Amino acid sequence: MDEYDELFEMEEHFNEQYADELEVLAEMDEESANAAKRLKQDAAGEIADIEHLLDDRPITPKAKRQKQDAGVVKRLFDASQNLEVKGTSQVDDITPPSSPEHYEPSQPSRATSSALDISGFAEIPETPRRPASMAQASLRALRRPPLEGDYISVTDSSGTRVYLRKKEDTGAQQAVDSRLITNSSGGLGLLAVPIAALREQEAERRHLQVVEESQRLTELLNRTVTDAFTESESAENDENEDPENGEGKASRLWVDRFSPGHYTELLSDDFTNRCLLKWLKLWDTVVFGRERKTRTARSDRQTANQNSFKPNQGNQTQNRFKSKIEMTEEILDAELDQYRRPKFKVALLSGPPGLGKTTLAHVIAKHAGYNVVEINASDDRSAEVFQKRIDTATQMKSVLGANERPNCLIIDEIDGAPAAAINILLALLSRKDGHGAETATDAMKKKKKREQILLRPIICICNDLYTPALRPLRQQAFLLTFPQTQPSRLAQRLSEISSRQGLKADTGALLCLCEKTDNDIRSCINTLQFLYGRGLKQLDSKTIQSVSVGQKDQNKGLFHLWQEIFQLPRTKRKRIGEAFEEVPGSGSGAQRFQHILHLASSSGEYEKVSQGLYENFLSMRVRDPNLQSVCEALDWLLFSDRLNQEILRGQNFSLMKYLPFLSVTFHFLFAHTTVPRISYPHGHHEASSRLLSSRNALSTMLVDIPAAIRTRISQLTLTLDVLTLLLDIICPKLRPVNPQLFSSREKEQMRELISTMLAYNLSYRQDRTPEGQYTYMLEPRVEEVARFPGLPPRRQLTYQAKQTISREMELEKMRRAEQLILQRNPAGKKEEKKSAAPAAIRNHQQRLENIVKQTTVESRPEVDFFGRAVAPKPQRPQPSSDTGEGCAVLSMGTAVGNSDVWFRFNEGMSNAVRRNVYIRELL
Amino acid sequence: MSLWVDKYRPTSLGKLDYHKEQATQLKNLVQCGDFPHLLVYGPSGAGKKTRIMCLLRELYGAGVEKLRIEHHTIVAPSKKKIEINTIASNYHLEVNPSDAGNQDRVVIQELIKTVAQSQQIQSSTQREFKVVILTEVDRLTKDAQHALRRTMEKYMSTCRLILCSTSTSKVIGPIRSRCLAVRVPLPSTEEVCSVLTSVCKKEGLNLPPELAKQISEKSGRNLRKALLMCEACRVQQYPFSADQEVPETDWEVYLRETANAIVSQQNPQRLLEVRARLYELLTHCIPPEIIMKGLVKELLSNCDGQLKAEVAHMAAYYEHRLQLGSKAIYHLEAFTAKFMAIYKKFMEDGLDAMMF
Repeated sequence: MDEYDELFEMEEHFNEQYADELEVLAEMDEESANAAKRLKQDAAGEIADIEHLLDDRPITPKAKRQKQDAGVVKRLFDASQNLEVKGTSQVDDITPPSSPEHYEPSQPSRATSSALDISGFAEIPETPRRPASMAQASLRALRRPPLEGDYISVTDSSGTRVYLRKKEDTGAQQAVDSRLITNSSGGLGLLAVPIAALREQEAERRHLQVVEESQRLTELLNRTVTDAFTESESAENDENEDPENGEGKASRLWVDRFSPGHYTELLSDDFTNRCLLKWLKLWDTVVFGRERKTRTARSDRQTANQNSFKPNQGNQTQNRFKSKIEMTEEILDAELDQYRRPKFKVALLSGPPGLGKTTLAHVIAKHAGYNVVEINASDDRSAEVFQKRIDTATQMKSVLGANERPNCLIIDEIDGAPAAAINILLALLSRKDGHGAETATDAMKKKKKREQILLRPIICICNDLYTPALRPLRQQAFLLTFPQTQPSRLAQRLSEISSRQGLKADTGALLCLCEKTDNDIRSCINTLQFLYGRGLKQLDSKTIQSVSVGQKDQNKGLFHLWQEIFQLPRTKRKRIGEAFEEVPGSGSGAQRFQHILHLASSSGEYEKVSQGLYENFLSMRVRDPNLQSVCEALDWLLFSDRLNQEILRGQNFSLMKYLPFLSVTFHFLFAHTTVPRISYPHGHHEASSRLLSSRNALSTMLVDIPAAIRTRISQLTLTLDVLTLLLDIICPKLRPVNPQLFSSREKEQMRELISTMLAYNLSYRQDRTPEGQYTYMLEPRVEEVARFPGLPPRRQLTYQAKQTISREMELEKMRRAEQLILQRNPAGKKEEKKSAAPAAIRNHQQRLENIVKQTTVESRPEVDFFGRAVAPKPQRPQPSSDTGEGCAVLSMGTAVGNSDVWFRFNEGMSNAVRRNVYIRELL
Repeated sequence: MSLWVDKYRPTSLGKLDYHKEQATQLKNLVQCGDFPHLLVYGPSGAGKKTRIMCLLRELYGAGVEKLRIEHHTIVAPSKKKIEINTIASNYHLEVNPSDAGNQDRVVIQELIKTVAQSQQIQSSTQREFKVVILTEVDRLTKDAQHALRRTMEKYMSTCRLILCSTSTSKVIGPIRSRCLAVRVPLPSTEEVCSVLTSVCKKEGLNLPPELAKQISEKSGRNLRKALLMCEACRVQQYPFSADQEVPETDWEVYLRETANAIVSQQNPQRLLEVRARLYELLTHCIPPEIIMKGLVKELLSNCDGQLKAEVAHMAAYYEHRLQLGSKAIYHLEAFTAKFMAIYKKFMEDGLDAMMF
């Protein structure tokens, strides 16, 4: 208590948070008190019970009866004494009776008083007669208990008590008397017993029934233990569950019958329980509104109580937990969001099966005052249905019916739910989050959306927290992992159950059972029931060892299996303890055989198992000088490979049952006392992925090889014959000089090299190594396929050489592509050239003419200068279709005169100015 | 087209360098007009494909050398799409059905049927049948081979099959009986030598006969390999010397070293090392049968006479298992372990005999 205050410095929060817990504790106290009281009552016996019952009995029926009987009994006055005596004797015989005779004694005593009365009016004559009747009665009625002989005490309505002495009667007299009664009553009615008496009898019976029923109901409600069979353990059973005694008990599973109905009966870890309860209580503000305040008040009231209780609970465990989980948890508890909900809207319980996750969720939800709505794997969890169900559960409330409590949604086995369903849940969670920012904007929407906000707690339960589908949910959920149930607690519960069922079991045996089932509560109880159902009345560890029922088909993990296979069981047996030592036969071959076989067949992953065995068996420390066992093991591997092949090929799954024997063989061949060091089998996977990559490299290489060569090589010949040598061939010795400087022979060599590489679809690609250097890699990467590690490295080309080759290859490729285009449409190409040629000539001519004109007119000597020599001058005019120099002016004249020279002004906005301008004018 | 293997490959039956008698027989076969289905088999590098192409040329003329690669997509009944590449000319179609793996039956059924069902239009000028070449028939599944049986008979008028495989042992009997089997044996050492020298002469090189012999021995008379080796030698060192080192394929060297490792020591640790090496070989796309074969070959050379029989027997046993199973590494290792056990026992016995 104090520790919490120190740590978290928020007392009022604390009280609120612990309200629930305090409440529970208080309830527990009350209950125990109740239980004790009830027990006392039980012990006191039934008579007391009935006395108590009779005390409550209303007097009215008595008076009524008095009147009715008055007339009848008057006549019987004589017999009344006898009757009275007879009544008393009857009282003596039947001790606790709720029968009418019990009242008889008082009845006749009154009858005597009214005996003299003739009229039906009882009241008036009664008072004067009373002393007389008393006197009459005093003949036998004594003021004090008689000193000797049997007597009975009779108290009248006024409270005076008299004692009647009992007188022995003979049987014959009694018979006569009884006949007398019948005779006398026969006058008024035909019944042996007066109708009133019968009625009363009936009423009383009913009353008793009701009382019994109510008692049972209260018992049921309070779940207090009333164990009639066990005297010794009754004290410690107090807090535990109450079976529905009686009808239909045999048909129900013990797991259901003995499932905890109350918070305090939970077997699961206290801390986990508390955390979940606290989380659920955080919702109180939003779900129950004002209720939270009252709760805090109550918790205040109960702090004293709690303080006294607290030290009993192990403080160390709390300290330990506080450091890691509780810190964060408290922090998240502290702040509620704007809708006064806890920060995490979903709690996610996770843990292996049989620890009581579902039970915990149900119990706690009920305890916190919720109506539980459960969705589990048996329901349809497709997206739409899930959406619908979530909406129904979180936004609606049952109006009809008794339970008007708010709903708490429990989604069980959520790890099996489809991802779509989980996404819907997430959307529900995040929807209000996005909405929070939006609220300010418009009120209408807010109101509308407000209905959609999640206002009810959701508890999700899963076995595997790390299912991929749950990943997004994990971040938004309040995570609670279930620790293992403590075997001692479980064993205690088991012993209670078994003793209640009349099954004798010692603690050792039960602990053994717990161990066998890995503290799985459900499995333990089911096994117990099974054993009980087989007629077993005595349970010891030996039977538990021998029986193979309690074992789940549990997957222990491959490493565990491999370890079991490669390790002799001797050391393990010691570790487990006394339970196993009783069974010396477990070291025998048959036992080991069965054990390994069971393990292997329950694991199911034969493929992985056999791979693990294969990769590890050679590193086992086994003396095997002649490799005999290695050979045998490998033969077994071949056999299993064969089986696998047969199973896959022929779909003959009946052969599958032979697969686990591989493990058994390996166990007998290689098991050793030392702890084996087992590595996970990667070899096969690695090999297959590498095989795939090299296959890919080969096929990419093959794809683009031209058809003529492609026909000659297959992938097989490529790997076996061609590739290595090809790689040698494409690494010729090249002089490290510019390829322009190669000799013709070298050029030829280069040409061949390039054509080879192109033919085999090889090329160099520049690559950057991680160190930042550039290298040329062969593409596709067939080098890796052809080369083996540990062999002398082949000659490699230098970077320069590769660069040269790469460049030349690019050129060659371009050349070929061009050729190909030419080949493909040779006609079109020619046409194009033809059409292009005249146009070019035209422009050319125009320009030339211009130039010619300019040169002829302006720079005559420059031509000389430009030509440098006299000889080329006459040559030059030839291509430019010029005439000699002498007639230059003339030609100019003709040229200008004959041809229209166009100046085009394509630049600018307008080319509107267009007229013939002669050179002559310009000059 | 610049590797010598490709450059100097004979293109007509008349130009073939060896097995000339067979070549003339094939020529006659074409001429007589009644062309049967063929099953051409023989070891790798003996010239099966060359012979087939020559035959086709004889049948259809030069047009058959205009090859193109076609990509086909076939939808299996299980809705699985199978991509397969074929090489085709106007007259023939070449398929490697084993590219499709387990679905090769579908390839056989769909592809070949469509080809076979289409009639040749100008039957007057050309042959009335097309040719379908199936390569690596020995890797066909049994299903596919059975699918082939009926097709071969049914479309006899429009289609001829030429099956090409390294051995007939995996070709089912019904198919073998429907075909004319043509065995193409490996060329003799002399023939390889003569081919090598003639090729070198065409290249303008001078090949010393010793080197030629060495190459042909190293290549195991596989002509393709021999030519490649020769060219590699040329690249290594041109003016050939008689005692030049002939480059080998890496995997063979590696396999030999593995065998040496097995022989040198026999214990589980060594077996682990050998396993790693076997994995290495397998991942380099070397088929397990070939590893087994190479291993046995190398191991036998290290064995005594009486041991040889036993080792060969064991090899046969494990090879058979290998064919039946799916995890090659188990089988190869089982053989290795068995050999180790036998060999060790033999050596120890021998040692005991020496001692006493």
